[in-house]
Amino acid sequence: MTSLPVVDAPFKKDPSAPFGFASFRYTERGFDTQAVKVLPGEFYADSKDTPIVTILGSCVAVCLRDAAVQVGGMNHFLLPDGGESGIAGTAGRYGVNAMEMLINELVKRGAQRSRLEAKIFGGGHVMKNFTSLNVGQRNAEFTKEFLNTEGIRLLSEDLLDVHPRKVCFLPKSGRAFVKKLAVDESLVMQEKQYQSRLVEKPVAGDIELF
Amino acid sequence: MLSILAVDDSPSIRQMVAFTLKSAGYSVIEASDGADGLAKAKEKTVNLVLTDQNMPLMDGITLVKNLRGMPSYATTPILILTTESSDDMKAKGRAAGATGWLVKPFDPVRLVEIVKKVIR
Repeated sequence: MTSLPVVDAPFKKDPSAPFGFASFRYTERGFDTQAVKVLPGEFYADSKDTPIVTILGSCVAVCLRDAAVQVGGMNHFLLPDGGESGIAGTAGRYGVNAMEMLINELVKRGAQRSRLEAKIFGGGHVMKNFTSLNVGQRNAEFTKEFLNTEGIRLLSEDLLDVHPRKVCFLPKSGRAFVKKLAVDESLVMQEKQYQSRLVEKPVAGDIELF
Repeated sequence: MLSILAVDDSPSIRQMVAFTLKSAGYSVIEASDGADGLAKAKEKTVNLVLTDQNMPLMDGITLVKNLRGMPSYATTPILILTTESSDDMKAKGRAAGATGWLVKPFDPVRLVEIVKKVIR
């Protein structure tokens, strides 16, 4: 009797998943299991080698992994236009939050903050009409400053330049693949919309006094 | 000067919180996890504790329980600042004796407002 090929069950959104946890699954060529697409502002973490895929223009994606427990994940973010981009700055806190969401999810799955290692991608100079001089560079610099402050070891980086990138990360093994893409206007528009959403609807969590 | 103990295992979050609260005129003591927070709370009695939940060695809710067991912290405002937002976790925080639950990311202006409201 021949065994049937392994196919993922249709993905149901986990109601207990935190806000921003990526839920779009699709078939990515070259992989047996369904891939997860991380959209701008989202993140994903897993202890299986689920391919985590994202497309980056000036945004950055940070892939974090704790090799000891083989848990990893990826986020995808950019800083809003204007404001200070340092960690304590008005723009920087959006990035700190994106990192915190991912790290917290990894810690819940058994990772230790002190053991995390990073691979970082993106920050391409693709938004030529933007008021900021170089949005991608700002995102890349923030990310490196954050990792340095947190003491997270940087294993590899593919940053800046003028190309969008497609990144695929396997969270269990920690392998990452990058493909440089041609500049795509729809990607640039998507990032601009994401950035303006950040400014229009500032991110802040609920407050409850008991 | 009123003092605040800020407990978080992320140096970046501690930096953001300390910057915000110092700018509002408070003195800030930082701790890197619940156990460190408890030790620093014993060293100097502060006017308010702001703590993360998920941390190594001791989590935020356990820190709250420990502090509430000390006469000097029986009524001190203790706020939990975390990415956790489930009702279940909030209920645990409330049962442990926390004063309030703040979900990250925090808005610096609102954080200062809440601190002003509850600190004593």
